[in-house]
Amino acid sequence: MVATFFLLFVLFCRLFYIQIVWGKNLQTKASDQWTRDLNLTALRGDVVDRNGEILATSSTVFNVYVRPNAVKNKENTAKVLADVLGLNFDLILQKVTKKGVSEVLIARKIPTLVVNILKEKGLTGVYFAEESFREYPFGDFLTQVLGYVSVDGIGQTGLEAYYDKYLQGIDGTLLTQTDLVGKELDGVQYYLPSQKGLTVQLTIDSRIQMIVENVLDLAMYQYSPQKAECIVLDVTDGSILAMSSKPSFDLNNVPRDDLQKLATYSKNVLLTDIYEPGSTFKVVTAAASLEENFLGRGGFDENHVFHNNSRTRVVDGSKISCWSTHANGKHSNQKLSDALNNSCNPIFTDIALSLGKNTFYKYLEAFGFGSKTNVDFQGEQSGLLIDQSLVKNADLARIGFGQSVTVTPLQLCLATAAAVNGGILYQPKLLNSIVDQYSGVVLTNPSVMKNRAISEDTSKKLAQMLEGVVSNGSGKQAYVEGYKVGGKTGTAQKFENGSLAVGKYVSSFIGFFPSNSPKYLVLMLVDEPIGQNYGSVVAAPYAKMVIEGIIDVYDVAPQE
Amino acid sequence: MKKFAKISQNNEYLLLIVTILLVSIGLVFVYSASFYTAEVEAGNKYYYLIKQGVGALVGMVALVSASLIDVNLFKKFHLPLAIVSLIFLALVFVPGLGISKYGATRWIGFGGFSFQPSEICKFALVLVGAHSFGDEKVKKTFFKYAKVIFFGLAYCVLIILEPNMSVTVCVGLLLLALLFLGGMKIKTFLLFLLPFAIALPLLIVLEPYRMLRLMAFLDPWASPKNEGYQLIQSLYALGSGGLFGVGLFCGRQKYRFLPFAESDFVFSVIGEETGLFGCLFVFLLFALYVYCGVKIAVNAKDKFCSLLAGGITSVVAIQSLINFAVVTGSIPPTGLPLPFISYGGTSLVVFMTATGILLGISRKNNINNLDIL
Repeated sequence: MVATFFLLFVLFCRLFYIQIVWGKNLQTKASDQWTRDLNLTALRGDVVDRNGEILATSSTVFNVYVRPNAVKNKENTAKVLADVLGLNFDLILQKVTKKGVSEVLIARKIPTLVVNILKEKGLTGVYFAEESFREYPFGDFLTQVLGYVSVDGIGQTGLEAYYDKYLQGIDGTLLTQTDLVGKELDGVQYYLPSQKGLTVQLTIDSRIQMIVENVLDLAMYQYSPQKAECIVLDVTDGSILAMSSKPSFDLNNVPRDDLQKLATYSKNVLLTDIYEPGSTFKVVTAAASLEENFLGRGGFDENHVFHNNSRTRVVDGSKISCWSTHANGKHSNQKLSDALNNSCNPIFTDIALSLGKNTFYKYLEAFGFGSKTNVDFQGEQSGLLIDQSLVKNADLARIGFGQSVTVTPLQLCLATAAAVNGGILYQPKLLNSIVDQYSGVVLTNPSVMKNRAISEDTSKKLAQMLEGVVSNGSGKQAYVEGYKVGGKTGTAQKFENGSLAVGKYVSSFIGFFPSNSPKYLVLMLVDEPIGQNYGSVVAAPYAKMVIEGIIDVYDVAPQE
Repeated sequence: MKKFAKISQNNEYLLLIVTILLVSIGLVFVYSASFYTAEVEAGNKYYYLIKQGVGALVGMVALVSASLIDVNLFKKFHLPLAIVSLIFLALVFVPGLGISKYGATRWIGFGGFSFQPSEICKFALVLVGAHSFGDEKVKKTFFKYAKVIFFGLAYCVLIILEPNMSVTVCVGLLLLALLFLGGMKIKTFLLFLLPFAIALPLLIVLEPYRMLRLMAFLDPWASPKNEGYQLIQSLYALGSGGLFGVGLFCGRQKYRFLPFAESDFVFSVIGEETGLFGCLFVFLLFALYVYCGVKIAVNAKDKFCSLLAGGITSVVAIQSLINFAVVTGSIPPTGLPLPFISYGGTSLVVFMTATGILLGISRKNNINNLDIL
């Protein structure tokens, strides 16, 4: 008896240890086996344009699962599933009767409507797991900027990747109490709903973007170039209103099986690729000269007449020629405005050399060349500016008219904007704000002024001169009746593998309006057009189409 | 029943209450532990409860009858009972009669009726022991030990062949307890212990699954899906119970996680649903049972009755202790039902009959005492 009591006491101590001391730990482990959980994928947030137009959205689709152990009537269940989902009965029956598995996937991406029909049938052991499915209502539109997501909904490129952390929602769970073999117990389910991701609102205006897409398609059709690219910028705050390059692809049908094509077509070349800007760069040289003169430190004023009418310059033994023959009095006794109108290379060589490398480089840097624009996008290039300590006069002379320097199209846009908007260099931006569907705006992206490049006075003069380029000069094809449009053409020979590529040009036009108070800037690039080369002929008409479109969309009143 | 109340000078009234309480707890928890599996497997959640209820009713009749029968009648029939037990144990191996479950043949059945002979032989052995050591007429020392040892070992051999390690150990321990109670000299006793000490490790090594189980007891999480599974599930149940339990019928482990939840591991379910306090209550009931049993044995009018009462109490004590120890992971897992509580008709009826005998012995004492007065 004593022995029995003693042993009972010992066992009681053991019980105390198990139930009280060890209990919490054991209970935690035990609860793991009591439940099965289904992950509920959160809906990815929308991407919308500045007016709330949906550019990318996610809808709920369902993955249909079956837990064979919990299916009561296997034949009937398989029949209903096969009928409603339009699948093979034998295959489904095989899955429904599968042994030794807790759950089997029956079908993926089934829309809510079909799932509701299935739910009404009251099948046991059939489960639906939410998943988010990405859709791009405009298809082949803003392709490189938006980017695409992986099959499991993670941003891979573009803004889908850059703002992935906002777009990703928070996954939920459906906990089901089950017995050992996964058979569901009545009435005990825990539902933790998923939370949709935040809405990313862009500075893009889909109406302008649509015009740009169409114009670029037309350019691709008419000149069969390698690429056609365009940016529309609000020069007053650095907002990008439209940004596109062709060729591209439909975001709803990502060419995942052609990696080469995918990699090339999904690159946002407007900020990842660099090129020699050519004559469009003369705006910068002109700005530097006018500003230095304004400050009384050199340069040339707007009334200065360049008397050297020769077609060529020889700098350190290197010969530089104008595109024009200068015959019959062409390009003679030019003022700065004439030189811009004529796009006369020797004059800009003279200006660059007269400023000297220290002064000229100061302006190059002030206009943002050689450094990234810091746009909110992955993979931006900074362009190539020959190191100031290594630059020779021959290089400096060429930089004056946009050679021996490489830039990204976006860099050129911001620099030109600074030249005409009153002198301010902005940081470009694609994000307007982050919006929560319940609580509204949670984050705004204010515009960032980086620095002042030139004085307001100089900027005004320059804008006026560039208006002349469109009304009287090489930019005539971009002229819009009744509107003050300024701009500059560019025709740059392409470099390939370190040497000039014969017959390969990048034809461009950069324009802005209204030139008395600039607001919109358009850069049009046609890379290797076939048949024509000159920016004035190839690019300017397309820029005009975009400008007309902007006037139409924003209902801009004609200027005097 | 009134008869008992009138003459309850000793502790038989307490013993009866304790027994009824144990059987009632058994009914409640057999139902709680089995309603889910019964519903899923047999389509009737009362399946096990009904069978156990029938056992309890038969057991009650047997208890009352046994308490009214003159104890000397058992003395007279000890040998036939012992031999019949032996035959039944042997019949388990006859094809058509023996019923196999879980890889062992432990039941014999005819018609819709089945029972486990090993449950009876424990008490047959107690009877043989009580007769040999308690009857003045049995003189020859050698003979009285030989008979007990013969039946004890014969039972052990037949049970281990089923195979059923735990009942074998139980019968072996009972044999030792009887020899000890019977007054065997310490030297002889120790000498006799020797073969057991050798046999036990040998039996474990012979069957590979026993070795695995032994290892599993030391670290159940080493093989959570196989050998360690049962113990882990039992610990999960007890651990989830805490101080007061998760509530009657609210346990989660019986949803097929805990094997044999209604039989060998019913105590885990009690622990899960009523906590440490519930376990303590069950412990106290068994302690009270043993207390009453020992008191009846001490007060018994003759040596036979005393030994019989002591033997019955020993069976209950040994088996419940082993069950508690297994369920709490204190010894290697082995399947042994908890007396009065675990599901199993044979076990319930036999234990209630034995309790009836205890009450009979006690009643006889009282009558004698009254006579003296």
